[in-house]
Amino acid sequence: MNVLTRLADFFAAFGHYPAYILAYLFETLFMIVFVMVSLVAMIYIFRKYMARLQLRVGPNRVGKFGTLQLIADSLKLAGKESILPSGRDDLPFRIAPIIVFLGLITGFALLPYGQFYFIGSLTVTHSDVSLLLLFAALAIMPIGEILAGISSRNKYAVVGALRGVAKDVSFEIPMMISVLALVMMASAKTANPLNLSNLVEVQFIPYGIPQIIGLGVFFIAMVARASFSPFDMSESDSELVSGHSTEYTGMRFGMFYMGLFGSIFLSSLVVSLLYLGGYNGPYSGYAGFVFLLIKGLILVLISFTIWLSVPRIRIDKFVNMGWKYLLPASIINLIIAGVLTLGLGI
Amino acid sequence: MMGPRISNPDENGWVELNMGPQHPSTHGVLRLKVKLDGEIVREVEPVIGYLHRNAEKICELDYYCDSMIYFDRMDYVGAMNMEVGYLEAAEKLLGIPPPERVQWIRVVMAELSRVASHLVWAGAFGLDLGMLTPFFYCFVEREKILRIFVEACGSRQETNYMSIGGVYQDFNDKLIHDILEFTEQFPKKLEDIFNAYVKNDIFISRTKGIGILEPEVALDYGVTGPMLRASGVDYDVRKAEPYLVYDKINFDIPVSHKKDNLARFLVRFEEMRQSIKIINQAVKKIPDGPYFNPKAKKSLMIRLRGEGEVYARTESSKGEFGVYLVGDGGVKPYRVRVRSPSLKNLSVLPYLAKDQMIADMVAISGTTDLVFGEVDR
Repeated sequence: MNVLTRLADFFAAFGHYPAYILAYLFETLFMIVFVMVSLVAMIYIFRKYMARLQLRVGPNRVGKFGTLQLIADSLKLAGKESILPSGRDDLPFRIAPIIVFLGLITGFALLPYGQFYFIGSLTVTHSDVSLLLLFAALAIMPIGEILAGISSRNKYAVVGALRGVAKDVSFEIPMMISVLALVMMASAKTANPLNLSNLVEVQFIPYGIPQIIGLGVFFIAMVARASFSPFDMSESDSELVSGHSTEYTGMRFGMFYMGLFGSIFLSSLVVSLLYLGGYNGPYSGYAGFVFLLIKGLILVLISFTIWLSVPRIRIDKFVNMGWKYLLPASIINLIIAGVLTLGLGI
Repeated sequence: MMGPRISNPDENGWVELNMGPQHPSTHGVLRLKVKLDGEIVREVEPVIGYLHRNAEKICELDYYCDSMIYFDRMDYVGAMNMEVGYLEAAEKLLGIPPPERVQWIRVVMAELSRVASHLVWAGAFGLDLGMLTPFFYCFVEREKILRIFVEACGSRQETNYMSIGGVYQDFNDKLIHDILEFTEQFPKKLEDIFNAYVKNDIFISRTKGIGILEPEVALDYGVTGPMLRASGVDYDVRKAEPYLVYDKINFDIPVSHKKDNLARFLVRFEEMRQSIKIINQAVKKIPDGPYFNPKAKKSLMIRLRGEGEVYARTESSKGEFGVYLVGDGGVKPYRVRVRSPSLKNLSVLPYLAKDQMIADMVAISGTTDLVFGEVDR
């Protein structure tokens, strides 16, 4: 019994198939609204937090405490003329921001947001391999960035895209190996560890405690995946103007911008689901979603603080770090997980 | 359907990339023609002149006392040093030495200006490396200095505070109190900014051992100022050929032998500490007396005539600032020529950035501390 079937029951008067379609639409709409509202809230928090760290005031003119500033900004972005560079590769240039945004939305759709007593698990897309699907959706986003870089026919964008590729190869493998360790640990307890809900529910203690190395590797990889500083080499504004999104204006740029903040939020949610116990906790049947959000927001604030206080890593140093430190660390973590699961039977 | 080629590599396979004059990392209006081999910068050619305002020629068309404002607009982040530089030459040519009190006041203002200039640099260098926050801390401190300038002369950046044979307004007790208040709280704030940088491993890895400038090369290119001292050459005009009253003040010239970006960073921060030391001494030693030379009354100022030629050098925040004046006995100079430290420091960039990565080139051009008002004049 989950939210989808509950909703379908609610719409049962329309007939079997229309009820399911309606329920699905309802759930998807709810999810998109949730993503949008959380993005708006997060960018507002980020601006205020950034201003606080930098001895500034932050937005305080539009609306009470500047809360409507972001809406004003997005209206401004939407109203701007979308300038298309003349030498562009037209189709990839137009679809690149959509691909980035699509990966983001798909990622949010796959996450379990809680296990409630009465309405069941809150997930938009129900799948038994949601873990694999999630990482597949996450892997789509860099493709959009690379497409954007190559199709805009701008040297800065190309260098940015090349850096993005170099960055992605170097953190992707350690990230997947640390997830593999998690799956190993979970497989001792549950029949299907590839389902995110199962993976969350078997965490009698947050897996971040036995898997502390994995948590570190995965968090670094997730921050890098979100192109957050210090890993924002692909769009480093002091070197490459704006990297792959140099030639984008208007709403297309807005999609990249939302992709940036959306992916750090998604990354934080994934880290808190996989390593910090997700929505587990006392009264999780009622308040599990709140636990998840709090954990996610704390991770987001940590990422913001890192962004604001450290310089950018040079791309070659990051590639070095990926292959020489993250990869061995994730393999050691895998061995630890094996010892814990098979040797000690935890 | 493929569009046109993104880049046309030359016979080496290098791609030419144009950075600037409107680019986030090229401070002001520097344009760099860069030959890229992937991520590696093979050749850099700085293109200057986008802020050329013909300052030297305009100075030749104006009275001696009116040229000050063009000098203010050369190194606009440390304008007081420019004024000191021009007045060293003009007063020597016109034969109007400033009174003792004025010399001490000028030292105080020049050093405040040096601190303000280095603070801008410290913040902007962080931005070059992708570090956003220290910039604001630097500017808060700089703002306090600018408030002092406003108190002294009513203007923040292009101060126009000094004039031939004197200063525009005398120091009063409130100003001295403000300056002492600033110097008392500043060192702690400076340490905070300093620690925000040097206690960061990524910052160290981005600066240490990068952009090595050998002292012989630096001397060949005519590099001066903190860049030269970071290469291990102990040369500062304030000690080598003291002007104003620098010989009566106890301070050290920071020298580093590491020659890299980090050394230039450390030298500039140590210079700020030394400047505070100078200000603390100088403010207390300001003697009583007139704040302008009676020969240079405002009503007589445009009748001043100079003859002969004079070259005066001073240590601005960027390096050795030289002013060459030729007078033909008229009320206007016959020739004005400026030796701009930023221009000479910029000329070494192609040497430093060769075979470095793009990110390092940006960091290196950050450590040269360019101000384009002064490079292009």
